[in-house]
Amino acid sequence: MTETPILRGDDLSKSFGVSHVLKNVTLAVPRNSVVGVVGENGAGKSTLFNLLSGILQPDRGHIELDGRTVRFGSYREAMLLGISRVFQEQALIGNIAVYENILLSHEGRFARFGQVLDRRHMAKVAQRIVDAFGLDIDVRRRTDDYDFSIRQSIEIARACLVPREVLGVESPVVLLDEPTSALAKSEEEALFRMIRNTREHGSVLFVSHRLSEVLSVSDIIYVIKDGHIVANVDPKQADQNALHRLMVGRERDADYYHEGEQIDVSGHPELLEVRGLRFKGAYDGITFNIRAGEVVGIGGLLDSGKSALGKGVAGVIPPHAGTVALDGSRPQRPQLRRLIAEGLAYVPAERLREGIIASFSIATNISLASGGDLFSTPYGVWRTAAEHDVSSKYIRDLEIRGATLPEVPCAELSGGNQQKVALAKWLCRSPRVLVLDNPTRGVDAGAKEEIYQLIRDLATDGAAILLITDELLELIGLSNRIAIMRHGRIIAALAAPPNQKPTEHELVGLMTGT
Amino acid sequence: MAVQATDSTMKLARGWKKIASWVTTGEGLPVLVVVAFVVFFSVTSSSFLSLRNFVAVSGEASTLLLACTGATFVILMGSIDLSVGAMVLLAGAVTVMAVNAFGLGILGLLIGMVLGGLLGLANGVVFAYGVIPSFVVTLGSLSVFTGIALEILQGQAVSFYSDTFSNLAIGQWIPNVPNIALFAIVIWAVMVWVCFRTRFGRYMYVIGGGEAVARTSGVPVRRYKIYAFILSGVMAGLAGALAVARQGAAGPTLGSDLLLDTLAAIVVGGTSLSGGVGGIQRTLLGVLIITLLDDGLNLLGVSDYTQMMVKGAVVILAVLISQDRRKITMMK
Repeated sequence: MTETPILRGDDLSKSFGVSHVLKNVTLAVPRNSVVGVVGENGAGKSTLFNLLSGILQPDRGHIELDGRTVRFGSYREAMLLGISRVFQEQALIGNIAVYENILLSHEGRFARFGQVLDRRHMAKVAQRIVDAFGLDIDVRRRTDDYDFSIRQSIEIARACLVPREVLGVESPVVLLDEPTSALAKSEEEALFRMIRNTREHGSVLFVSHRLSEVLSVSDIIYVIKDGHIVANVDPKQADQNALHRLMVGRERDADYYHEGEQIDVSGHPELLEVRGLRFKGAYDGITFNIRAGEVVGIGGLLDSGKSALGKGVAGVIPPHAGTVALDGSRPQRPQLRRLIAEGLAYVPAERLREGIIASFSIATNISLASGGDLFSTPYGVWRTAAEHDVSSKYIRDLEIRGATLPEVPCAELSGGNQQKVALAKWLCRSPRVLVLDNPTRGVDAGAKEEIYQLIRDLATDGAAILLITDELLELIGLSNRIAIMRHGRIIAALAAPPNQKPTEHELVGLMTGT
Repeated sequence: MAVQATDSTMKLARGWKKIASWVTTGEGLPVLVVVAFVVFFSVTSSSFLSLRNFVAVSGEASTLLLACTGATFVILMGSIDLSVGAMVLLAGAVTVMAVNAFGLGILGLLIGMVLGGLLGLANGVVFAYGVIPSFVVTLGSLSVFTGIALEILQGQAVSFYSDTFSNLAIGQWIPNVPNIALFAIVIWAVMVWVCFRTRFGRYMYVIGGGEAVARTSGVPVRRYKIYAFILSGVMAGLAGALAVARQGAAGPTLGSDLLLDTLAAIVVGGTSLSGGVGGIQRTLLGVLIITLLDDGLNLLGVSDYTQMMVKGAVVILAVLISQDRRKITMMK
C-alpha cells in the first residue's frame, strides 16, 4: 500500500438486537477513486453506509479518515469532515433556488450580523461549484425548473464540492446509495460521466444492484454477503457472472423450506386466475393462474413492479386494466373488499405501515379484517368475547411469543411475532387465496422457519399462494413455480419441483437481464 | 422496626409512583383537575355548592356534553369538526322557526337532529370523497352554516312560545335535575357503549390509529368517515334544539363558544388530536373541567376577558402535561 486511503473502515461490526448485520468489515477507499459495493438486499450495504456517515455508530471497530481515527456522533459531524451522502430519494427542496439548496444548512457561513444572508456571495460560491462540475446551470433559478437527472447532478456536485469550497475539506468522500434506480438510460450515462468526473475532486463509494454499471465505473469492487466482505474485486478482471456468484451462492437447506412437503398440484382446480393486469408505469400484460395447493413465487429487482403487482391482484391499488377471478367467480377488475369477501388475503410488505397498528392490541389487530362479519353482529354490535377467544387461539397456535394475553399491544412484540399477528388477521378468515409480499422481511431466523411451515401447511390444506419476495432462497425453496419480472413484465416462468429447483444464479441472470 | 419502616416507605413510594404515572399518562389528570376545581371553588365562593348553582351548571354542561359526544368520534378517527358550533346555531334557529310554525313539542328535537344529520352528511361527503382535510372542509362549512342561520334569524334573537317544548329542557322529571342534563347523561352513556361495544366505535379507533392498515384490511374507511360526521351533526342538532328549549329563544350568539369549548373539552379529557387514543368516556371529564372553570370564575367575579385567558392556558397546559407529543403530527 503506497498511499494512505482517504477513508478506511477497520473491523466494523454492528448488530441490531440479536441479528448481526455487519461482521468484521474492513474496507478502504483510496484517494480520488471510485469504489463500488455490491450485495443482495439485506446483505448490510445500507448499514455500512450508515456507519461510515455517522448515522449509526459501530459496535466494534473504527473509522479512519486520511489516516486519523475519527468518531462521528451524527451525520452532520461526518459532513463537516467531508463525508456526504446522496440518498436514493432526492433530497433537494423544489421551490427554492438551486444555490439555496446547494448551501442548505451552511447558511451560517454567509450570514452578516448573525441573520442577514449575503445572497450574492452564496450564489457566487454555488455557481463556482456547479461550474467546476461542468454543469450548465444558473444557480439563481428555481430547483424545480431543472429535470430529474440535472437535479441529481446538482446533488452530487453539492455532496462533492461543498466540503471543499465551503468547509475547507481537501479531499471529500461521496457516498451514493442506489443512484440509478430511478433513472432512465440516458440519464444513467450522464450520471456515470459525473461519477468519473468526481474523481478529480474527491472519492466516491457507491452501491448499486446493476452490476454492469458497477463494473464499468469502479476502480475496486467490494462484494458483501450476509454482513461479511467476501471479496475485493478488480473490475478489469471480473465479469457480471463472477460478481453474481460471489454475491449469492449460499447453500440452500431443503429442510428449512420444507421442500419435501411440496405437493404435486397437477389436476388441482385453479383457484386464482389473473388476466391481462396492467397498471400504467408499474406492470403490464400480467396473466397467470394458481392452482389449489400451489405456491407461485414472483421474483425481480426492486424496480421490477412485483410489489405493485401484488397490490393490484388484491385490489389494494386497483389496476387500470385486467381481471382477477377467485375459484371460478366472474372475472372482474380486482377490488379489495369484494375479493376479501370471496376468500382472498393480502399480507403487505410494509408491516408497520399497512400490516398492523403497533400501538393497538393483538386482538384488535387480529380482528381488523373481519369486523364486518366474524366479530360483529348484523346490527353492528361488537363480539368482544369471540374476538378474545379467536385471538387467544392464534396466540397459542402460531406460538406468538412475548404475549400470553390478546390485550398486549403489538408494539411489545418482536418483528417475527408481529408478522404472525399480521398473518393471523387473515388466517381467522380461512382464506383460499393468499397474496404474501415479503412475508419474512425483518423476521428472525426462528420465526422465519415457522412462517415457512405455515405457508406449507396452508398450501397442503388447499390454499393458492402468490409469494412475492426479494429473498432468492425463499423464492426457490417455497415455490412450485417461479415467475421472474423485469420492468413490469413477466419475462420468464420456471417450474420448481422439489428435486429440480432452479439456482440463484439462473434467477439473478433473468432478473438483471444478463 | 427499622426494616418495617423502610418496607412501608417503599410501598408508599411505589404507590406514589403508580399515582404519578396514572396522572402523567393522561388517564388520571382530568379526574384530579375536576376534584381540585371543586375544592378550590367551594372554598373561595360561598354559592358554588348551592343547589341553584348545580342546576345552572348542569344545564350549561349539558349543551356542551351533547355537542361533544359526536365530535369526539370525529377526533378519535384523526379528523376534526370545526363546524359543531355552527351546526348548533343553525339547528337551533330552524327548530325555533318550526316550533313557532307548527307548535311542535318533542318533534322539535327530531327536526334538530335530522337537520344536524344532513349538515354532517354534507361535511362527511365533501371530506371523504373530495379528499380534502377535514380541517378545511369544516372551517368552510362553519362559515356557510353560520351565514344561513343568521339569515334565518335576520340577525336577531327569535323566541318561541311552547311550554311543552321548553319543558323538554328545563322541566325536572327527576327532582333537581333539569331534563336537558338527563338527556345529556343518558346519551353520553349510550355513546360510551357505542364507542366500546360496536363496530362503528371500533372502526373509529382503527381509522385514527392506522388508516392505511385499516384500508388494506378491507375496512370501508370512507363510509365510516361519513358516518362519524353524520353522528357529529345529529348530536350538534340535538344540542342546538335543547339549548334553544332551555333558553326560550335562538339568538345569533348561540353556539359561538362551542367551537373552542368542544375541542377544549375533548382534548383536555384526553382524546388525542392525532387520533386513535382516548374515548368518549373521557370527554365527560373534559366537559366538567371546562364548565366548572367557567362557572367558578363567574362566581368569583372574574371578568370575561380574564376567563378567556385562563381557559386557553388550561387547554395548553393539559395537552402539555398529558399527551404523547411524539405522536401528534398533523390532523388528517
